[in-house]
Amino acid sequence: MPDYQDHQPLPDDGPPPILKTWNRMYLFVLILHAIIITLFYWFTQAYS
Amino acid sequence: METLDWIIMLGTLLSIVAYGVWYTRKVDNVQSYLLGDRDLPWWTIGLSVMATQASAITFLSTPGQAYEDGMRFAQFYFGLPVAMVILCVFVLPIYYRLKVYTAYEYLEGRFDLRTRTLTAILFLIQRGLAAGLTIYAPAIILSTILGWSLRWTVLFIGALVIFYTMLGGTKAVSVTQKQQMIVILSGMFIAAMILIFQLPPDVDFSDAVGVAGKMGKLNVVDFEFDLSNRYNFWSGMIGGVFLFLSYFGTDQSQVQRYLSGKSLNESRLGLLFNGILKVPMQFLVLFVGILVFVFFQFYQPPIHFNSANLEKLENTEYADELADLQAQHNTLFLTQQEEVRALMDAIDMENEPAIATIQERLTALRETDKELRTATKDLILQADPASKIKDTDYVFITFVTEYLPVGLVGLLLAVIFSAAMSSTASELNALATTTVVDLYRRSFAKDKTDRHYLNASKAFTVVWGCIALIFAATANLFENLIQAVNIIGSLFYGAILGIFLVAFFMKKVGSRAVFIGALIGEAIVLVIFTLNSMEIINIAYLWLNLIGCTLVMGIAWILEQVLPKTTATDA
Repeated sequence: MPDYQDHQPLPDDGPPPILKTWNRMYLFVLILHAIIITLFYWFTQAYS
Repeated sequence: METLDWIIMLGTLLSIVAYGVWYTRKVDNVQSYLLGDRDLPWWTIGLSVMATQASAITFLSTPGQAYEDGMRFAQFYFGLPVAMVILCVFVLPIYYRLKVYTAYEYLEGRFDLRTRTLTAILFLIQRGLAAGLTIYAPAIILSTILGWSLRWTVLFIGALVIFYTMLGGTKAVSVTQKQQMIVILSGMFIAAMILIFQLPPDVDFSDAVGVAGKMGKLNVVDFEFDLSNRYNFWSGMIGGVFLFLSYFGTDQSQVQRYLSGKSLNESRLGLLFNGILKVPMQFLVLFVGILVFVFFQFYQPPIHFNSANLEKLENTEYADELADLQAQHNTLFLTQQEEVRALMDAIDMENEPAIATIQERLTALRETDKELRTATKDLILQADPASKIKDTDYVFITFVTEYLPVGLVGLLLAVIFSAAMSSTASELNALATTTVVDLYRRSFAKDKTDRHYLNASKAFTVVWGCIALIFAATANLFENLIQAVNIIGSLFYGAILGIFLVAFFMKKVGSRAVFIGALIGEAIVLVIFTLNSMEIINIAYLWLNLIGCTLVMGIAWILEQVLPKTTATDA
């Protein structure tokens, strides 16, 4: 049973395979999501 | 079903199960059984996470939902990528740092044993209920359409899942889910392609999309803020973020998937992979439903999609009335088909006034058709008041069994069975793990051997499997299956997430405050749900996640301020 060890260092395994930093990876996912929603919105407007 | 369909369906399902059993033949200790040796790469984690969420209900009910209601259900998943990022930033590092088996272990270190136990029990209640429904929902539809016995269908799905989950544990679940997800995605993509090729020769893909759009089916995004509207941008982005934070961050059936990753980074990539692919995948599934809708504008649809209901009705005194309704439905279909072709021409010529006029006529025709379908449902109820009359869950499977070529019927049935098995396997695995780690090993049988806990884990997998089977074999059909699962989730997820958010972000709040806060918060959510069910208030169920979570956090914070401080530290 693990003890509560809130102050241990993070097991960070290094950077992601692309985009060099995790913050950039997260931003990439969020921007991609925003683009997808924008495309869906355009799709809704264009065909309704 | 033809022989080839049987061979493809059973061959696909059994070979995946056999592979899972063979791959995990050396699992002989509890860590390997519950955490899969922590050696999975990100793509297996990502596919496993997706397969856990995508139950058979997703592939049976969602196309039917699009057929009836358009594509607005896609918005339900808008919060998911945001939730994935939040989990990667704040939650995964904590779980990895503590090397926990379950999400609830963390709560004991942060608060106390009773908070851990309460949260684990809340999880077991809601996931235990959902596991039964995950088997039952596809079984009742498949048994009806294929003419199989419901009990044998439930037993077929359940026995296969219990068999390989019990033998191989977490790793068996993850590796089979990878295969199952490949079958599922391929099958749905092929179904979409076949639908496009089976449209009449003079109807191409752009005609199909144009007709669906003008008939109000391509309503993917709606920015209007309305608390009573179940699916709009805001409920998806706000309520959805809370739901998915709770589901992926605190539901052991998901936590266990990414805790078996090779490293923190592999788990992060797996979740981000899910964040990127989930919304487009859901769009594809809904779009298949839209294509089925367009298909049935050119090919005669049944007046009621549950063929078993119609067959029963044909053998009653109401047979003549049914024949009369069907004749009207058939005549109406021909008129509607002419109007749809006229609409296609008007769209081609960009004749907006003509489009508007035809849209009005089509709306009136569809309204009349809806009345005929409602009248048929009324007849079904008159003949047998116990009948289940909602038929949208039968739309896609009707298309599959009646219009797909031989061989593909078997593949698509394998898709649905695979989806049922993959999500059920995760649930049984998580239920067994939580029972052993958070209750049995923690409070009832401490300091036993590794072999003892391994055998206990296998035994609890079978026990939960049997509970799910009993529930599945006796439950009554909810009016809409996918919503029933999500509503059950929304009742408990808010409170569970609230406990975890207090643990992560409100460091000064102690165990007593959060424990009482969780009990009060959950009670208020259940009261709100009851008032909603009695139609005294009208709040879409997705908001229950936000309400439950906020209540737990707010009440816990207030209690921390007003409760007398105890000498023993809470956290």
